[in-house]
Amino acid sequence: MQQSNRLRPFFENITFDRVDNEMILNFGPQHPSAHGQLRLMLHMQQEQITKAHPDIGYLHRGMEKMAENMIYNEFMPTTDRMDYIASSSNNYGFALAVEKLIGLEVPRRAKVIRMLLLEVNRLMSHLFWLATTALDIGAMTVFLYAFREREYLMDLVEDYCGARLTHAAIRIGGVPLDLPDNFMADLRKFLDKLPENIKDYEDLLDKNRVWLMRMENVGVISKEMALSWGCSGIMLRASGVKWDIRKEEPYELYDEVEFNVPVSDKGDNYARYKLYMAEMRESAKILYQVADMYEGTSPELMAHAPQYISAPKLDIMTQNYALMQHFVLVTQGMRPPVGEVYIPTESPKGELGYYINSQGGPYPYRLKLRAPSFWHTGILTDLLPGHYIPDVVSIIGTTNIVFGEVDR
Amino acid sequence: MRAYTPKDNVQAKSYYTDRFWVAPQVAKSAVSDDEVFAADLEAIKAKFDVLDAYIQVEQMIVIINANDNYAVLELLKNECEYTQLSEMSAIDWLDQEGKFEIFYQMLSMTKRKRVRIKCKIDEKEAIQSVEKLFRCADWSEREMYDMFGVVVNNHPFMKRILMPEDWEGFPLRKTYPLQGDEFAAWYEVDKIFGKEAREIIGPENRDPARIDRYDTKRFSRLGHEVPFGTDISQGEPDTPLVYQEQEGVFMIDKFDAQKSVVISDRHR
Amino acid sequence: MAQHQVNYLKDGGLPVALTTIDKVVNWGRSNSIWALTYGLACCGIEMMASGASRYDFDRFGTIFRASPRQAELMVVAGTLTKKHAEFIRRLYDQMTEPKWVISMGSCANTGGMFNTYATVQGVDRVIPVDLYLPGCAPRPETLQYAVMMLQQKIRKEPASRSQKPKRLM
Repeated sequence: MQQSNRLRPFFENITFDRVDNEMILNFGPQHPSAHGQLRLMLHMQQEQITKAHPDIGYLHRGMEKMAENMIYNEFMPTTDRMDYIASSSNNYGFALAVEKLIGLEVPRRAKVIRMLLLEVNRLMSHLFWLATTALDIGAMTVFLYAFREREYLMDLVEDYCGARLTHAAIRIGGVPLDLPDNFMADLRKFLDKLPENIKDYEDLLDKNRVWLMRMENVGVISKEMALSWGCSGIMLRASGVKWDIRKEEPYELYDEVEFNVPVSDKGDNYARYKLYMAEMRESAKILYQVADMYEGTSPELMAHAPQYISAPKLDIMTQNYALMQHFVLVTQGMRPPVGEVYIPTESPKGELGYYINSQGGPYPYRLKLRAPSFWHTGILTDLLPGHYIPDVVSIIGTTNIVFGEVDR
Repeated sequence: MRAYTPKDNVQAKSYYTDRFWVAPQVAKSAVSDDEVFAADLEAIKAKFDVLDAYIQVEQMIVIINANDNYAVLELLKNECEYTQLSEMSAIDWLDQEGKFEIFYQMLSMTKRKRVRIKCKIDEKEAIQSVEKLFRCADWSEREMYDMFGVVVNNHPFMKRILMPEDWEGFPLRKTYPLQGDEFAAWYEVDKIFGKEAREIIGPENRDPARIDRYDTKRFSRLGHEVPFGTDISQGEPDTPLVYQEQEGVFMIDKFDAQKSVVISDRHR
Repeated sequence: MAQHQVNYLKDGGLPVALTTIDKVVNWGRSNSIWALTYGLACCGIEMMASGASRYDFDRFGTIFRASPRQAELMVVAGTLTKKHAEFIRRLYDQMTEPKWVISMGSCANTGGMFNTYATVQGVDRVIPVDLYLPGCAPRPETLQYAVMMLQQKIRKEPASRSQKPKRLM
């Protein structure tokens, strides 16, 4: 039996007195192919869209406000929930921003582990993108295949940090744990199989007639539009701008590894799809190189900066001063210097930036999360008009937006 | 007497700060150290007042007058090759000086440089929109209005973006508490069931440390799950991990752990 | 005349099963729980993973449906915000009876780590919930166990139960 409540049907008090054929279509906020809680108000002329209003905020959880009320280390798990498909890359962005603010240098083994995590996360994210986009367009097989591979990657991350989805695997100043024994062997086993798997997906999709019809020349983003909308990552590279922060402003060990940045100048859905596939291959290449770097690094995992970072567990358990310092850092939090910093990193979705304004207190005075998906959602306003209803789904798919990141 | 709580800044504060604590500063260097930035700064200085400029963490920060914001960004975009506005937002300094600080984070892909343009406005003052230069400012400015209440002039669609349109208050201001005000606490109840339902549904539990183990209306302990609202003050039953009822289920085979296969190699 | 005669009493018994209507109906209901895809945030990804290849939800008869009118289970997977609260109630109202709700993850249970102005502190303030599933995010196995618990719950109650309004208004 239904209980009464005050909710009334939409459009109850709208009178349609105009005689043109314009129809208003409400898409979302809970739509299976919206990749989260996107609501679109589409003005239609028959099947064609004339105006689009993306409405976001259905997953706004107030993360920036939370950051202002949390000590720096406390905020780390919250960053997981931003881009929850590749959570380590969010952890990393935040850790890097705070490290730059303090001026910390991270030990080499921690850098290697971070690189491994970042690239594993990139693979996870791209596989997930492929799975969901293919599912939206109707390729159920690819969904099942891509999820199969993604599960192996999740096993790897789980072996490392114990969590499947929300890793919190990176700390400010390093990483908390060393790699487990079987990690490298499992990773190599997976990487050896990956090219075959990617080839499987491409065999299924590349020349598939339905896939081509839904992808080719749909959702074309010009170079000017991509720049003006602040696009980054694959959205930008598919439109002919060769800009990858890993290459241009290298952080961590990206200047020591060799990889290509795939670019396309088509700007349509198909170009983006090809770039995702190419980036997976590049990630595998990076992972092979980083795996070789691991051997021969000294076992330190956290930077030595007693003012900001707790000492290693052994010191805390044996030395009185280290224990006191640890107590102060856990209860009161570190106090970074006064200043502000904006640090961009290349997350799987694009440029993930953290702006931190510190006033010397244990809480950031202002923390702004620059999430790439926010602008990739905004671009739908200009991108959708002129397209047809079925194109909406494929365009949303290839923009690769995650709503934890859009709304924060 | 009730304890005094400051109203101008209700964010978390450190409960202990050493008397002689002097916060260190992130190093600033002069703009002349970097010739690319120096050239850009000269270009800005030629036409506009620059209140301050320095380099911090490899990025140039230029502080300008608020009414120059559109013109400065136009100059940077058209003449200095800063083609992308990667981020913009506001910072609340109402408590200290009664002003909002607006920052624009710019990126030049050809020079591989990043510049932050900052300016300050009064609380009631509006700022010029830069949406004509960078389309992405459309949404950023809406977000800024939504979160801080900073009004932007010449904006095509000045509406709330993240919060519902009928929301009251600007969440990222320092005067707004983290857990929301009275309006926020009852928002969904008022909207769905009406104000008269407040008493039936009850207030939110906002205390994350509250544990009431006899409250089985909300939760029960793991391994001791009981139906909704059972009184467990006289002890609670053990609920073993069962997948099916003991006597079996009509037309369904019973699960047998002995007969099932455990796969040891997950890459199989 | 048929030469062939089947002795029902001798070979394997009658092709008839005696049971109550309750059991038949509940057997059907509990083994074809169609769930509404209500992935709101991170837990939605784990919900998808439990529908995908390794965890394979289909063997429980649980198939994700995109329409509330074809679904009887709503898995609220993720953070419910104040802006979204209205819509979850709307979709819940649109589901046909009998219907059940699983609240998946800490955010849906209590608001979890998001103790902020924008988050509903537990979906049970808006819709009645049958099962609370702890975790942030719960693993797919947890969701599968929750569905099994729900199956047990469905089998316990009479099929022709009077449609009592659930708690909450």
